[in-house]
Amino acid sequence: MSEQAISQQEIDAVFPKVAQIIADALGCEIDDVKPKVPLIEGLDAESIDFLDLVFRLERGFGVKIPRGKIVEDARGPLPEAEFENKGIVTDAGLARLREFLNEVPAERIKTPLKAADIPRLFTPETFCKVVIRAQRTAQATA
Amino acid sequence: MTSERFRAFSFVDRITRCSDRHIEGQYTVPASASRFPASLMAEAVGQLAAWAAMAELDFAWRPVAGIAAETRYHRIAEPGQTLTLEADLARCDADAVAYSGRALIDGVCALELVDCVGPMLPMGEFDAPDAMRADFAMLCAAGAEAGRFTGVPAPRLVPIERDAGRRLRARLQVPGRDEVAYFADHFPRRPVFPGTLLLDAMAALSAEVAREAMPGQDGSALMPSRVSNVKIRSFTTPGTALELEIELLAVEGERAQLKLAARNDGKTIATGRIEMVPAAKLPR
Repeated sequence: MSEQAISQQEIDAVFPKVAQIIADALGCEIDDVKPKVPLIEGLDAESIDFLDLVFRLERGFGVKIPRGKIVEDARGPLPEAEFENKGIVTDAGLARLREFLNEVPAERIKTPLKAADIPRLFTPETFCKVVIRAQRTAQATA
Repeated sequence: MTSERFRAFSFVDRITRCSDRHIEGQYTVPASASRFPASLMAEAVGQLAAWAAMAELDFAWRPVAGIAAETRYHRIAEPGQTLTLEADLARCDADAVAYSGRALIDGVCALELVDCVGPMLPMGEFDAPDAMRADFAMLCAAGAEAGRFTGVPAPRLVPIERDAGRRLRARLQVPGRDEVAYFADHFPRRPVFPGTLLLDAMAALSAEVAREAMPGQDGSALMPSRVSNVKIRSFTTPGTALELEIELLAVEGERAQLKLAARNDGKTIATGRIEMVPAAKLPR
């Protein structure tokens, strides 16, 4: 999947609202929601919080974010068999993740990374990009 | 105790319509029920929505606990009254069901549930898919036998720390598996303490804090009028001791806003907010 790069300006435009939605979903202070803080390790988010967050972002921004979309988009054009092997992300998969999750410091995306642990990498900026992609999809199909 | 399946904690008697992600049904609170907490009206609407979701996914998955953005109480069902239930699914797949719904008494809205999300788990972990399919068919046809629910015991709460009118910490002793009938129904293969009973315990503590915070109150019962941002983060098994903490956020006239948290061994397992008002002041 080739996509037009997402600019910092686009991220900055949606960040305040995304941060507020994250603070509401996690019950934390908005000041703690920094763009690059990992949601799981930094803000104690759990899987139910991601579910809550996705629904809140859908309602807040009036977009659709299909289930599993984030990891599916992260994999991009790579077939699942080339992206992961026995649950561990392959070197090709890691390269793809470093590109897709370019808001995450590259040193955090290192082997061995379990595919199930990919959400551990997610930050508020990851969700800004999810919203921007969903907005682009909505515009493209409008 | 397996005979309590589909009896002790099942709050839909009949499904009168189920199509296009809209479901309607009814539930009569048995006149003989010893205790029917207000939160069980929300349980009934949630269970109705769960039937629609489970049927759509051919009983391979079932929603368990989850999130309720907002629950508004307008009147409280009494034993003998019939609730007309409705729910609309906004989304339903193997990850989650999202829905809103309401319960009416004599045609008047008694409770609204807004933007709820139930994470889906494999049905087989909780109950037999074939048995659920058969129950659904029966609910859609003649309906279930009425009067199955006998009541739930009042929550066993022991205060730990009290800052009158501001904060209350208490221990909730969840009953053991064989002490109460509802664990055999919620759920037959894996007993889970119902989130709505946790909310009932938190509402009881909230009423204490709110009463202390509103000294002008004449002692009439305080009821939840609005419960928001409820999130159940993990399962509570029978026999667990939970620590509940209620904190007053604000008092506006005869309304008190409070923050709720439940912890298991230091880990926060549920959070939410509640507004308490005198029963006579429930917004109609």
